[in-house]
Amino acid sequence: MIELKNVTKKYGKAIAVEDISFTINDGEIVGLLGPNGAGKSTTMNIITGFIEQTSGDVIVDGYDMLKRPKKAKKEIGYMPEGVPLYTDLTVREFVTYMAEIKNVNRKERKQKVKEIIEQTGLKDVESKLIKNLSRGYKQRVSMAGALVGEPKILILDEPTVGLDPKQITEIRNLIKELGKTHTIILSSHILSEVSQICNKVIIINKGKIVAIDTPENLENKVTNNNCIYVTIEDSQNKIETIKDKIQDIKKIKLITKNDDGTTQYMIEANGEVDLRKTIFAEFAKEDITIFEMKKADSSLEDAFMKLIEGGNK
Amino acid sequence: MWAVVKKEFKSYFLSPVGYVFIGLFLIMFSIFFYTDVFNYSSTNFEYIFYSGATILTFIIPILTMRSIAEERKTGTEQLLLTSPLSITKVVLGKFIAATLIVVITEICTLMYFGILSFFGTPHITTALITLLGFLLLAMSYISFGILASSITENQIIAGVITIGFFILTWFLPQFSSIFTNFSLINMFTKFPSGQIDIADTVTFLAFTVMCILLTIIIMQRRKSVR
Repeated sequence: MIELKNVTKKYGKAIAVEDISFTINDGEIVGLLGPNGAGKSTTMNIITGFIEQTSGDVIVDGYDMLKRPKKAKKEIGYMPEGVPLYTDLTVREFVTYMAEIKNVNRKERKQKVKEIIEQTGLKDVESKLIKNLSRGYKQRVSMAGALVGEPKILILDEPTVGLDPKQITEIRNLIKELGKTHTIILSSHILSEVSQICNKVIIINKGKIVAIDTPENLENKVTNNNCIYVTIEDSQNKIETIKDKIQDIKKIKLITKNDDGTTQYMIEANGEVDLRKTIFAEFAKEDITIFEMKKADSSLEDAFMKLIEGGNK
Repeated sequence: MWAVVKKEFKSYFLSPVGYVFIGLFLIMFSIFFYTDVFNYSSTNFEYIFYSGATILTFIIPILTMRSIAEERKTGTEQLLLTSPLSITKVVLGKFIAATLIVVITEICTLMYFGILSFFGTPHITTALITLLGFLLLAMSYISFGILASSITENQIIAGVITIGFFILTWFLPQFSSIFTNFSLINMFTKFPSGQIDIADTVTFLAFTVMCILLTIIIMQRRKSVR
């Protein structure tokens, strides 16, 4: 379990993160979401004890990071941003070194290192120098370094940045797999990633928390039920009179004029009314042909943009 | 801590650094062996070290300039500082690894002792005292080199600061006698005469401890300003 209580980090007068509080329970996979420079990495660096907060408390598994750093750090496996590695070591040497500095029992060390190399799919490259590996493999090596020492909590800073789509899928699957046995915090600015992997999202903007919720709830929050997109063929331009015919329509907005002569409009209703039936009937009467009609669906992307823009105002 | 020592020590030989250090030292040492001892048909092993000690001024930075600066630059310090290892152990580990390289170098110099014993009987106790003094000097230099490496993430700057400081303490006594007692290399010169000067030994050790403590404090401080 990780608890942050009113954590603030200042650099002189500049505030990197301000008054951040949240609790992450065991077994949760949490996504830290925010635009670049929002304070994601700073927050992660504070949780891992790499930097000290100006005020507030970080409690990892019951141990205060500032007062009992040794105990607290033992519970955390950290994969820092940009995957820093000792590039002149081989994969096995690196993972062994990480095991040593994390005080893995000497007798078990060899076996544990072997298990982790297999788990992260590094068996084929274990005797290669890290500097000769591709980006995707380096990411795995970094992940292996975080995993060693059996930490309960994994903190992954942008784990999929710079990978090709195949590698991204592989790493995501690995994270999902690890999520069964670990508490995971990962940061990302890719929304689809977070909604796929995480069961809780913390959105940060300008050093402050704007929202903490499940991805589904966040999406629901911003769904507007009363918006409909229609693509129509309207040769007599009757759309202008439609508004008078259907009382519930609040606004009709032109979206695009397509090359094939059809036009797309967004129709907004007054209140929570589903207009689709009425529109279908009325448009037919008015000799407007409907090619397509759909309810506007919202995504985490919309939620994100709304929350971020809300914070900017 | 020993994990750090082991890894750092290994790194010295994975990169050319360790070989370059030992190689350069031995080349210079051989030249001094020829000019200071062999030419005079002397069998005094310790005489080589009067000039030999000056080599350290230029080659200690090779060992130390990377130690912390490089970790900072590549970000690997995040791995070290988020592990259960304390900063003290990290710094001590790096210090011990560099000191071990000097010990190896000293062992290599014993071959000149071997050569000399072929021609006469060099004094073994004086030789050992000299080696001890040389080690103390090297430890002071290494600790300062690591300190310099901790204040910048640019290894070149760390190296230049280190050499600059050593040259300064080397030549200062020539400007004013006030500085005689501040010159580390001056303090070393009593050892080859076969006496262990307690004051000098304590000064070397105190200087070493001070530099290591400063390094630890600097790294600790950076946690809150980073």
